Amino acid sequence: MFSRFSRRTFLKSTAAATVAASLPRLAAAQDKVIRIGFLAPLTGAVAAWGKPGLDGCAIWAERINAAGGIKLADGDYQVEFVSYDNEYDPAKARTGATKLIREDGVSFIMMLGGDTWPGVQPVADKTGMLFSTLLPSDLSPETTTLIAPAEVHPIYNVTGVEWLAENKPDLKTAVMCAQDDALGLPSVATYLAAFEAAGIEMLDDPLLFDPATTDFAPVVTRLIANDPDIVCLDTCYSDYVHPICEQLFQQGYKGQIISCTADFYDQMIAKTSEEFMEGFVFQFPDFDDPALNADTINFADPNGFYAEYNKRHPGQWGAVSWEYASIMDLWKAAAEKAGSADPEAVMAAMKDGGKGDHAFGQADWWGSELFGIDNALVGDWPVVVIEGGKARVKAFKSIPDWYARHGDLLVKHMTAYDQMWNQRS
Amino acid sequence: MLDLLAQTGLNAVYAASYISLVAVGLVLIFGVMGVLNFAHGELFMAGAYAVVALYADAHLPFFVAVAAGLVFVGLLGLLMERALFRPLKDNPLGGLVASIGFLMILQSLAVMGFGVRMEHIPPVTQQVIEFSEKVRLPVARLYVIVAAVVLLTALWYFLKRTRFGWALRASAQDPEAAALQGISITQTARIAMFIGAALAGVAGALTAPLVSVNPHMGHSVIVTAFIVIIVGGVGSLEGAVIASVVYAVVHTFVTTFFDGVIADITGLSLMLLVLIVKPTGLFGSRERA
Repeated sequence: MFSRFSRRTFLKSTAAATVAASLPRLAAAQDKVIRIGFLAPLTGAVAAWGKPGLDGCAIWAERINAAGGIKLADGDYQVEFVSYDNEYDPAKARTGATKLIREDGVSFIMMLGGDTWPGVQPVADKTGMLFSTLLPSDLSPETTTLIAPAEVHPIYNVTGVEWLAENKPDLKTAVMCAQDDALGLPSVATYLAAFEAAGIEMLDDPLLFDPATTDFAPVVTRLIANDPDIVCLDTCYSDYVHPICEQLFQQGYKGQIISCTADFYDQMIAKTSEEFMEGFVFQFPDFDDPALNADTINFADPNGFYAEYNKRHPGQWGAVSWEYASIMDLWKAAAEKAGSADPEAVMAAMKDGGKGDHAFGQADWWGSELFGIDNALVGDWPVVVIEGGKARVKAFKSIPDWYARHGDLLVKHMTAYDQMWNQRS
Repeated sequence: MLDLLAQTGLNAVYAASYISLVAVGLVLIFGVMGVLNFAHGELFMAGAYAVVALYADAHLPFFVAVAAGLVFVGLLGLLMERALFRPLKDNPLGGLVASIGFLMILQSLAVMGFGVRMEHIPPVTQQVIEFSEKVRLPVARLYVIVAAVVLLTALWYFLKRTRFGWALRASAQDPEAAALQGISITQTARIAMFIGAALAGVAGALTAPLVSVNPHMGHSVIVTAFIVIIVGGVGSLEGAVIASVVYAVVHTFVTTFFDGVIADITGLSLMLLVLIVKPTGLFGSRERA
């Protein structure tokens, strides 16, 4: 998740973000403006799942505004993002949500979610504001104005395991490690269900580590002690994926690795070798991938977006760089359909017919069994493999299809880890 | 099983090495100045960023970057002594609070200078010493172990065999008596602060290519260091080294044979046990020394 971020790059990106943020204000003198709230960690340990998303949104806004903006019943609107750094702190997130609604008059608020959502939920309940999260584990029957339209973490991880079982049937055993937190545990349950469905034996219980861990040598020693065919890195933050991979390399592991993310995999290759990283399976593509030019993809000009992003923020592309922008695609389409930016009208238009245009293809509003509410947009998800030092999409696999066949296993493991919506406090 | 034990033992030796460098520095500062330096983890972080700036960005040789990191963080220690601890020397709580403020300043400076993300540091070497197929010691880790042994031995020699070292120990044991003997308390405080900070800095610099370098990396280090100095005895340098070894062995073996969360609980339980059985720590005395 975290990478080289030189002082010069930091200053350039901050300057670019400032200019990008000011341009819509200049336009506001001439055009009507819709403000969108961006309430995510922009500093602190989790900033890498916020800041790159805001950078992606700046590109998205420029493109949309240049193309005429958002077309509502009473005219065309320019779009402007108003950001608030919640530092992944629930209290700051609550303050930010209140400020964005009352002072900035935003029409929609995008969040990373997770630990910050409980701070925001009372504001959502009181105001009826439409919020989005990247983490559907925030969803429950009470979160009626919260949607998870970009990624259904961690359910999509089943697609990687399924692809592995189909394409490398000789892999029969696996081990897993994860940080012991709200992100790691539901992912552990998902991977356990996926491995069980694929007939892959777990050699050991998942090895949990404290999120404050810095030395991963003991974790890796334990992981590879029984010569597993697969080492699964769950949804570890990049701060963990990188040193774990380096340790796997240094301790002589030569088997398969699967992970939810592999942000900045070029740096992992630099720390290990191209041969070691060959065949590494994960779930987040680079957007210069030719597979994303297919007609089924609902993200406008992914290759151009990726090129522009890398031009402005070299080496900073990560899992969330495109996700907030893809949520905005969905919101824009719904607002234009509703002819209004009113949160209730947009939500109704968005969920009309029970289907929506997800970045990776048409998808269903889904989730009542796992989340208690059908507010997650679920469809196909890519399986990405590193080949010759470059990430490439190998397949798009259907999450609902997998769930129709193995949903009972997922519910079983989620329940065992107290991760069902009705088990969360 | 023997391979697993041997590899875990090597992992523990590495962990003990960098923990002891940090903990000894923290104890030295407390022993001489009577201040618990909460910014000690951020001095570790500053050493790591020195390697980012000089080795990863400026492409200087790694050991030049490490040496520069040692000096730079030592100078940061001098700055803390002059700007924070000396004006607050009659107010131990004030020094502690000031160190928390300095912690936040250092973190913010790291964010402003380098951003919030993990830094990529090219490997110093990918060489590995293979004792067997499953018992391997990366040479980059060996550097940390050798540096810890050399630096701690040098510190022991300095404290036990040199006039400055005697002055430092005298100041730590009884500042007023030491002052009456003509020892400059201010001078010994400067020396202690420079050495203590430099040890944290060199630990951060040496481990930078092996860990995730980010502005918040000092947090877990300071927590571990506090556990270690409480177990070893606050103010005891020997205690800090031995407690580092004990903590590293316990934590590493429990992580390997159970899991990391249980290892953390075990480490904290060890600290609580010592506090109950011997509140001054394994090697501590009622007076700081």
